[in-house]
Amino acid sequence: MVAKRVNVLWAILGVVGGIAVGAWYMGSRIQSPAEVAARTAAPEPSAILVPVESRVLSSDIVTRGTVRFGLPQQVSIAPSTVKGGAGLISSLPRPNTNFKEGEVILSASGRPVFVLQGGAPAFRDMAPGTSGGDVRQLEEALARLGFGPGTVDGSYDQKTSAAVEHMYKKAGWDPFAPTREQRAAVATLEREWTDAARAQLAAEATRETALKAVAAARAIAEQNTRQATLDNAARVGDSRQLADARSGKSLALEAERARAAHSATAATADVATQMADRALIVLDPRQTETARAAAEAKLKVARAAQRKAKLEADLAIQTAAREAALVDERIKVAEGAVKAARLEGDRSIRAAQEQQSLAEFDVRVATERAERLASELAAARAKLGVQVPADEVVFIPSLPIRVHEVTAAVAANASGPVMSMTDNQLSIDSQLPLEAAPLVKPGMKVAIDEQALGIKATGIVETVANTPGTRGVDGYHFYLGVKVETTPVLLAGFSVRLTIPIETSRGAVTAVPTSAVSLAADGTSRVLVDRGGKQEFVTVQPGLSTGGYVEVNTPDGGLAPGQLVVVGYKTAEPAAAK
Amino acid sequence: MKKTMCASLFAVLLAPAIAAAQVQAPKGLGTEEFGMSPRELVQAIEKTEELIARCMREQGFQYIAADHNTVRAGMTADKRLPGLSEEEFVSRYGFGVSTFYTGLPPQLSTGYSPARVGLGERNVQIFRKLSPADQVAYNRALLGDDVFSTLAVALETEDLSRTGGCTRKALTENFKPDQLKASHYNPQDALINKDPRMKAAIAFWQREMKKVGFEYGHPDEIEPDLRNRLSALTEGGKLLVSKMSQDQKAALRKLQDFERLISVKSHKMHEEVLTPIEEKIQEELFSRKVQ
Repeated sequence: MVAKRVNVLWAILGVVGGIAVGAWYMGSRIQSPAEVAARTAAPEPSAILVPVESRVLSSDIVTRGTVRFGLPQQVSIAPSTVKGGAGLISSLPRPNTNFKEGEVILSASGRPVFVLQGGAPAFRDMAPGTSGGDVRQLEEALARLGFGPGTVDGSYDQKTSAAVEHMYKKAGWDPFAPTREQRAAVATLEREWTDAARAQLAAEATRETALKAVAAARAIAEQNTRQATLDNAARVGDSRQLADARSGKSLALEAERARAAHSATAATADVATQMADRALIVLDPRQTETARAAAEAKLKVARAAQRKAKLEADLAIQTAAREAALVDERIKVAEGAVKAARLEGDRSIRAAQEQQSLAEFDVRVATERAERLASELAAARAKLGVQVPADEVVFIPSLPIRVHEVTAAVAANASGPVMSMTDNQLSIDSQLPLEAAPLVKPGMKVAIDEQALGIKATGIVETVANTPGTRGVDGYHFYLGVKVETTPVLLAGFSVRLTIPIETSRGAVTAVPTSAVSLAADGTSRVLVDRGGKQEFVTVQPGLSTGGYVEVNTPDGGLAPGQLVVVGYKTAEPAAAK
Repeated sequence: MKKTMCASLFAVLLAPAIAAAQVQAPKGLGTEEFGMSPRELVQAIEKTEELIARCMREQGFQYIAADHNTVRAGMTADKRLPGLSEEEFVSRYGFGVSTFYTGLPPQLSTGYSPARVGLGERNVQIFRKLSPADQVAYNRALLGDDVFSTLAVALETEDLSRTGGCTRKALTENFKPDQLKASHYNPQDALINKDPRMKAAIAFWQREMKKVGFEYGHPDEIEPDLRNRLSALTEGGKLLVSKMSQDQKAALRKLQDFERLISVKSHKMHEEVLTPIEEKIQEELFSRKVQ
């Protein structure tokens, strides 16, 4: 009985359970339109309130850039003429090594290479006596280093030399002394100068001789001329005598004639005397035959003497007449001799004068050569001081510098490009979109940061390209160069974020999210302010808008920081996502 | 006795409800990744990409928000190469984890790269124009430490835990915190795995895999394991193959061989054993209801 009741109860329970399940199932499936509408209807919107803030509004341009040291520049070593050849590199710096002015960046064949500040590269050896812009750079560098090069005048003098020596010694190197070739060159110059001085003296002596020769030539010429003139005068005198002779007035001829008449008279008288004597003897019987013969002979002698005198007188007269005839020719000859003597004298004088000119030219040449050699010798002697070979100094526009890349190798020739260097000034290569570039000007402040690395620094806009697509950026961007201000952080090589404030509110202003501001029908701007659950519109004057916020001003101060404004209304969230 | 009766009555009343709950997917559970519906997935992608673009802009980088088609393309590019079936791909390149490893960021890779596809060509071109330092910073800002975990890859592998940078930041605003964890499991997959038939299939899969020397509890464990092993070998994916030592190259080749072997076996087992059951259960879970 009990079991039967229990079974009935089980059956009832089963039926009830089945009905319940069925009812539940059907109930869960059947929905009225109202239920469906209610379930799918949007929830009651609730206002999203945010507080009015007092904040500094700043409109920024954000971009990225890579920090680098200054643009790498090649460091080249110029060949030195005093050394005769490039040395072999014996030590090189490592990349990223920093160098200050006056430090040795590498060594070659046991000689240092100093780095100094200067715009122009070292292109020649600098030694005492040289001058120019490179020497001025050297002097300026030596002055900065405190070595006292004297007056910075671009002239390598003894003070400069001493300063260079000081620099070398302070760095632990021997200064570059005169080479054997330089000393030999000086000795050669000394010999040449001595020879030139002797040649000058010889030329001067020759000039003196030439001067005397000219005077002598003049004197000889004058004497010859005078002699010729005298001869000419004599010939003229003879000519006059001849003229006298032609006119019968020649004294010589007259004298010869007189002498001939006198001789004829004397001979005639002697003949008459002898004739008289012979007659006396002949007539005197007492005279011997011998005496007669002697008288006869004396008569013959007297007659012969008479004939001889006559002949001699005729000959003398003829000779005198011939001499008188030759005087014309002699006068012409004498006149020619005078002219010849004058010409000869002039020629001799001219020749002597030419010799003099040549001697003076020789003197001039010899003097110039001696002077030139003297100055060269002085210069060469002056160059024997401490010098700076071209391959022992490198001028870099700005210091300090750091080694960017070493391109040369140890044991290679220390000539030409050996490494590239950058200055220690950090710069950032960046770019700006086309629309942002006109807003950025050189000199603007830049905030530099990289959140991931915890980097923060500041910088200044240095360059904004005038045209897009330059310096490695594409044609849709302008190159932007930023100079990093002093920072202890090692930024080189990092990519950093650059924030450039373009416009700022210059102080805290009342600001609300831009979504809080709406436009009224009359065109005014307004915000919906929540005042303890009650909302009311407040008319505002919008100002600078940036970063999702807008500056708002109310004429009557109806909006204060801390008040709540409506920015929107809450809606349902997606099921799977938030 | 009464207690027994009450319990029986409760069981009778609750049984249909439990049965109904077991055979139907929870309301709102979609068929796509992370249990989202296709619409929700598209919205999530678009919103996430917008946030990524904004975040990148704040970091100073240009990033074009990829549309959902691009991200989808990246997702579907997983284990796909033009002209190769999935089976051929797996036999040649395994899961494509270590076999395509170069050490280069995805934007610079020229071959198979779902990550690159998912980023979009414009972003790839933007990346390529950057300086090397900016490229590193770009990927750090966009992807964090794991440069291969792009949004597309993370969605496809349903592992948001490896994401970083702006991608992570954007995902944080669009996904629930537990979805961002490595332990998160797709509710749909969880439901399927709870099914006794699937449990039995997975047990069979485990046994068969063990027979050939691979000891894994679930097919989904293989790829993360490969990624971890590759990461350990390549210093977190930052070591270029060209700069690897001989030992490292040999280890990479070994890992690639291992990947090919295990992927072929796993893929075959998956296709033959797991996929039919999974499809059956999916069909039951997401069958269309007629009201």
